[in-house]
Amino acid sequence: MNKPTILIIEDEKNIGNYMETIVTSNGYKAVCAANGVSGLSMCTSHRPDLILLDLGLPDIDGMEVLERIRGFSAVPVIVISARTQEKEKVEALDAGADDYITKPFGSEELMARIRTAMRHSVQTVQIANSLIYCCDGLKIDFEKRLVTLDGQNVHLTQIEYKLVSLLARNAGRVLTYDCILKEIWGPFADTDNQILRVNMANIRRKLEKNPAEPHYIFTEIGVGYRMREN
Amino acid sequence: MKRIFSLDEIDRFPGESPRKNLAVVLVILAVATGLTSILVRLSYNSASAGIVYVLAVVLTARYTEGYLWGVLASLIAMLLVNFAFTYPFMSLNFSIEGYVVTFAGMLAVSAMTSALMTRLKKQSRELRQHDKVLMEAEKESMRANLLRAVSHDLRTPLTGIIGMTNAYLESGEQMTEEMKKTLITGISDDANWLLNMVENLLSVTRIREGDVKVATTPELLEEVVSEAVSRLRKRLPETKVCVQVPDEVLLVPMDAVLIEQVLMNLIENAVYHSGVKDAIELTVEKETDRVLFHVRDFGVGIAPDRMESLFDGVGSLKPNGSTDAHRGMGIGLTICKTIVEAHDGVIWAVNREQGAEFIFSLPLATEEIPYE
Repeated sequence: MNKPTILIIEDEKNIGNYMETIVTSNGYKAVCAANGVSGLSMCTSHRPDLILLDLGLPDIDGMEVLERIRGFSAVPVIVISARTQEKEKVEALDAGADDYITKPFGSEELMARIRTAMRHSVQTVQIANSLIYCCDGLKIDFEKRLVTLDGQNVHLTQIEYKLVSLLARNAGRVLTYDCILKEIWGPFADTDNQILRVNMANIRRKLEKNPAEPHYIFTEIGVGYRMREN
Repeated sequence: MKRIFSLDEIDRFPGESPRKNLAVVLVILAVATGLTSILVRLSYNSASAGIVYVLAVVLTARYTEGYLWGVLASLIAMLLVNFAFTYPFMSLNFSIEGYVVTFAGMLAVSAMTSALMTRLKKQSRELRQHDKVLMEAEKESMRANLLRAVSHDLRTPLTGIIGMTNAYLESGEQMTEEMKKTLITGISDDANWLLNMVENLLSVTRIREGDVKVATTPELLEEVVSEAVSRLRKRLPETKVCVQVPDEVLLVPMDAVLIEQVLMNLIENAVYHSGVKDAIELTVEKETDRVLFHVRDFGVGIAPDRMESLFDGVGSLKPNGSTDAHRGMGIGLTICKTIVEAHDGVIWAVNREQGAEFIFSLPLATEEIPYE
């Protein structure tokens, strides 16, 4: 049976073992590297389908490993970080990581992120052409540029629609503030993300029953936004 | 006027250098001389000659170090008055009847005034030093208390984890699946609790030591609240919270990580110490210049004798009649207070007719929110 391979680059033995256990018991094949150098070489020798990369590696900086991987491959990469490494998380995402997960994490969370990242990588072409986002009552028709909530039409401004459809097309993945700003407002946009947050607040009031308990669009403060997978 | 006479910054001006002190004396006396000659000319008599000099002597004592310069200035002033402002003008003369007494009197009075001023300066300086020492001692004792309470609180779950893992390692074979599951759940709970406590403590380090303030950025109220609630739900899935925020889009300056910590602490506190399973209410309301966060539970309320020291972190609070020996949130509340106050906010607790309510405020930003 052809199981997808996941490369785990993690220097802490316990965490590495733990991830290996979760991943193998969920139908994947795991290969492990305990430092950046061996991680990079395993990347080329094993050609994994996904990489779990710890940011705090002993030999090379996790960021550098990421950049080198991105130099020759678009393989999905999920970075593993500690709670306080906010800046590094965002940097990694902006440098090409597909998602992140914060220690300590549960197996469900890890598997969910892995599945989302794999889906987006394999089906990038398909998703770009996919016409509808549908999740729990919220339906976005990309072709007709129509957003409905439980059958009722939702009126969004031009910018609001662009935001929602960007998030929907990347459903399940986190998009950083920077990434969203550049996509919607262009590469020369002001780095102050207040305008983005105010727009998101308005969108929330149109889509969510309670803006303080969002169901569709989740905030990850300091990092960006993530939309629920359809 | 007030600034010339106030005793602020005594330590910094002008210091021990004799040259600087002499310069002060000469400048002040020169100015006084100028003023006196104008005064005498305008008043057509020399009775007011000594007055300005007494003021000059007081100022000299205020702005120089030690008793010497003030007294020296008194002497020079006295000579100047005799020389320049009393008959015979432009010459020193103590032989005219009454002059000795007059000028001795002047010298005595101005010397004593200067001595008085110097003494006042010294006392003010000493008071300030004393205050500083007291504050340092208080900070130290607060830190020591916190460390003690924290170490105690951290040890308990650790002993629990060690105990449970030992039990499994030693008698694992004899255990039923049920027992094993209970052990593992216990370990997981304790470990999670520990992690939360560590994060609480780490958050305190985000507060700048010197002025006990935090670096704030404008954050969307609803985002901070929703993230706090969802993070708490991940850790304690059985938590029931009703969240309510104002309709208005609110940007509040804060350190999001810290305020989320406060919210999670308060909600967790409510869950464990209310003693009931009713939903917790988290409501946020806007006032003209601040935002108020209310965390309300419908349980047993806070014992009146504990209200006073609720935020002092005095040891572990035993939950009211709860059999779950969940460790006290004494530390959690102290940290909440530290964080809220570092934001220039206020935190307090009240008992409602059913349950307790914790309220804290955060000041609002005053600038306009930019709209596209």
